[in-house]
Amino acid sequence: MSSRKRQSTPAVQSQESTTTVSSSKRRVVAIAPDADAVLRECRKLRDAMRSSSNETSDKASRVIPEGVPSSIVEVDELKAPEVLEGMESIALDIAQQVLSGKGFSMEIPSRAATNQLYVKEWDRIVLGGKRSSRSFLNVKESRKAAITLRVLQLIHAVLMKRIHITKRDLFYTDVKLFVDQAESDGVLDDVATMVGCTRSNLNVVASDKGLVVGRVQFIEDGDPIDCTRMGVGGKAIPPYIDKIENITSDAEFILLVEKEAAYMRMAEDRFYHRYPCIIITAKGQPDIATRMFLKRLKEELKIPVLGLVDSDPYGLKILSVYMSGSKNMSYDSSSLTTPDIKWLGLRPSDLDRYDLPDQCRLDMTENDIKTGKELLKEDFIQKNPEWMKELEIMVSDKIELAILYTIGCLVVDKQP
Amino acid sequence: MPKSKDSSPSEVQIQKSPAEFFAEHQAIAGFDNLGKSLYTSIRELVENSLDACESANILPEISVHVTEYTQKEFNKVAGLAESPRKNANDQELFQKKTKTPKKPPTEPQLTQETNESSTKKRKTASQDAYFRIVVQDNGCGMEHNAIPHLLGKVLSGSKYGVRQTRGKFGLGAKMALIWSKKSSGQPVRIQTAHRRSGTDIPTHCSVCVLDIDISKNEPIIMEHRKYANKENFIGTRMELLIAGNWTTYRSRIVQYIQQLAIITPYAYLQLDYENISEPQRNLQLQYQRRSEQMPPPAATVKHHPSSVNNIIVQQLIQMTRAKNLVKFLSTELASVSPAMAKRLIGELNEVDEEMDPRELTDAHITRLVQLLKRVEIFKAPDGSCLSPLGEYNLNLGIQFVQKPDLIATARDKPAAFEGHPFLVEAAVSLGGKTMKEGITVVRFANRIPLLFESGADVSTRVANSKIKWSSYKIDFKRDKIGVYVSIVSTKIPFKGTSKEYIGDDATEIQQSVKRAIQSCCQQLKVRLVKRTALKDAKERSNRLRKYIPDVSRSLYGILEGMRKRREEGDIHGDEYTSTASPSKRLRLDPQRSNQMIHKLKSGEMNEALITRALNQAIRDHQPQQDEQIIVAEKATPLFLVPLYNLDDPQYDVLDVLFTFRPIQAILNVVSSTSSPETTH
Repeated sequence: MSSRKRQSTPAVQSQESTTTVSSSKRRVVAIAPDADAVLRECRKLRDAMRSSSNETSDKASRVIPEGVPSSIVEVDELKAPEVLEGMESIALDIAQQVLSGKGFSMEIPSRAATNQLYVKEWDRIVLGGKRSSRSFLNVKESRKAAITLRVLQLIHAVLMKRIHITKRDLFYTDVKLFVDQAESDGVLDDVATMVGCTRSNLNVVASDKGLVVGRVQFIEDGDPIDCTRMGVGGKAIPPYIDKIENITSDAEFILLVEKEAAYMRMAEDRFYHRYPCIIITAKGQPDIATRMFLKRLKEELKIPVLGLVDSDPYGLKILSVYMSGSKNMSYDSSSLTTPDIKWLGLRPSDLDRYDLPDQCRLDMTENDIKTGKELLKEDFIQKNPEWMKELEIMVSDKIELAILYTIGCLVVDKQP
Repeated sequence: MPKSKDSSPSEVQIQKSPAEFFAEHQAIAGFDNLGKSLYTSIRELVENSLDACESANILPEISVHVTEYTQKEFNKVAGLAESPRKNANDQELFQKKTKTPKKPPTEPQLTQETNESSTKKRKTASQDAYFRIVVQDNGCGMEHNAIPHLLGKVLSGSKYGVRQTRGKFGLGAKMALIWSKKSSGQPVRIQTAHRRSGTDIPTHCSVCVLDIDISKNEPIIMEHRKYANKENFIGTRMELLIAGNWTTYRSRIVQYIQQLAIITPYAYLQLDYENISEPQRNLQLQYQRRSEQMPPPAATVKHHPSSVNNIIVQQLIQMTRAKNLVKFLSTELASVSPAMAKRLIGELNEVDEEMDPRELTDAHITRLVQLLKRVEIFKAPDGSCLSPLGEYNLNLGIQFVQKPDLIATARDKPAAFEGHPFLVEAAVSLGGKTMKEGITVVRFANRIPLLFESGADVSTRVANSKIKWSSYKIDFKRDKIGVYVSIVSTKIPFKGTSKEYIGDDATEIQQSVKRAIQSCCQQLKVRLVKRTALKDAKERSNRLRKYIPDVSRSLYGILEGMRKRREEGDIHGDEYTSTASPSKRLRLDPQRSNQMIHKLKSGEMNEALITRALNQAIRDHQPQQDEQIIVAEKATPLFLVPLYNLDDPQYDVLDVLFTFRPIQAILNVVSSTSSPETTH
């Protein structure tokens, strides 16, 4: 996986030779002269992906590997009428129970931590087969049952009207019953698992969080978008992922950045022209839209994804969410995870490789070390011996992405 | 009052009598200020009366009558002529140098009035007054000839043995006497009828008017006569005139009487306060007797070997009639058998078994005491000499005074602290009209209330920081928790000079208090849990009903949406295809959905129908109310007095909850009619 070889001598780029100011005031950044050399490894990866991708079809990955219970809950991408039909079938069942005078009860897949499984073959977390029932006649569950039914109805109406709403919208539709947004948000995932669709199929979206800039073009709801012409800040990744079509790009790789500050730096420097790429950030922990967008980009463009995160346990954890999914959304991990992201940096070993000065290094706090040690026990780290090594170095030192500016962005220029 | 003069003229050596010492350091005995002096005087007299009743095994009936006098009235009562002041113009002499803000003399009449009323107010609030205190009981009375000595000599009394007593120093009533002499100059008046046995009415009555000679620590008898008891007078009536302050200590005195009523539910208590000049401030408090069960009188026991010191051993030697050491040790100390005494003597050098105890030198005594403290195999002092109130009485007392919602009592097993046995009884109550939110700790030591210095007391500390209330389903901030701790011991380890609190450094006591409170909390928890279950069952239908509108609206909403969608023919839209395997996804059963749509169209299915069905379901599925819970709520508690240290277990009938033991052994057969006693 990490077979890439890093060039051990950082080359200093001179800004003047590459940057000119055109008459239209648009900064034109030429491709870096050493791009070919730097991108060689990257292209190898891309070619490998493109040649193998034809063989591993979507259906093949759906086969449940041995040792994994067949009861696991995996949701599908469904069309709106199918979602509606699923909801109606649930309602019909409830109505029948109610009319027979027994109250009603629902069976809902449990999303508790104990019901999460990591499937090695798929390299992602999935939801196990445990189910919990929610009965109206039980005093402790009646409120939750009422909320679930109400959310079911609200989403049914939303889908009928063919509109999208945000989680906040949903909460405000019936504040009196929901009381706390956490209640309606949690029930939303229950509804998705009950119907067996993804959360975005419910037409409930979260507000924009992710940003994208770089050499990619697509049509969003009929409007052509060119992410090289999105100004300095880039384009917000839309939550309506299903409205994006016709993705085209001449980028050689996708650069995933943890910190918004690092993203801004590279967007302003038009880094994506010097080394043709697409830069994405979710400003920390990624939201669903960013994860789905990344997955779409990777699957359609078939170019490698490189991750640039802090050299601390949280950076690695964020990378793991992109790759293996989060526990909360494990039922939909198949459409949210992008396996095989290359950990570009900052690796703990980079600290010494590039001789980063001590002033850039922060001591690991006790909490960091604790998180790091817990990570060492996680399956997705253990499957990757090189990461294990890095993490073990990490437990002694931590480095923030911000240091790249203190040493003049040289490493970023150098390293794909 | 120099008694002897040293050769050096600058240093005069003065010897003080105990009475003088306490007159000067009266704060030691609780006479810190006027208010507290009044409180302590009442308290000491009341406690003496209780002792007088209990020692004769008589259910106490005690009344306290307090009459407030202004100085003028006092002078009249005391027979002091109101001497006309020679220099009537010298007002300055009696006025405090305070600046009074000058008011503009716009409305002269009104100003004068307010001035007058404000000075009057100040008078009542802060000016100290004189009080006549009359405490009367129905106790055993005092023997005619002993009266002057019992009351007129500080540090003489009957309470010096190893015994659980309310007082300790033989000081209380005498301090009140000293205080009365100091503040009002008036003697005490005692009327008493001594009875030898509990029931007969005494034939003679004594009246005694006493003063005290402070420098000699001797009583001064002003009147002392005996007459035939024609009016059937019973008990003792003490009357004294003292200075004090009712306003500042009124609440304390009331609190004292109230707590005394808790801890002595077998007594009738009455407090009357009378104010001659302001009758609207009069107060009357009465606590009826609620229990006929009086704790047995405490027995005097011998010193436990681990509690003796050099001085005690010396005193014992002086008093003993034993002619040799073995006899001395085995008769004068508890838990020492002759065999044990021989073993002890064997450990000591230079002494032998036949030695006269009076021949022991100081060095021998020191070594003997050291030895006694080291020996670990003495049987621990047992609680048999103690006289605790009993859980039944404690429960009754609290029930009557505080009227709580729930109450639990517990008694911890007797233990020893520094060679003195002690026993902790505790009660925890929840609710009650007069209780404050949070934890209120009520403390008793040897069955008298402790009102002051509660912050440092062992019981307060334990209740506030050692008990995890939340684990007993009790909210220590919002629930009204009453914690009652009664500790009895042959020697209560009070901290400080006045008997106000027990330090929490007495580890054994602290642990015992904690165990007792925890035991109460456990009982409460069980009942609280049952209570909530009962309440939940009652509230269940209400709670469920609350969500019926939401449920029926939502359910009907979806079904209606389904109908609309069907009408619009949306079901077979062109976008109706996905990659998902059709078997996995939830599908509508066409037959059932058609039926439902038909019902919806005809109006057979509507929101009201759903609401009705849900209501019906809630009614039908009401779980059977647990009858056990109801029975438990109505049940009255049963109090069993635990017996420890029972030696003869061979006729025991063991059960999970308790052990039956016939008090009289029944041979061959264990009858169910045998009187049961329980052991824990």
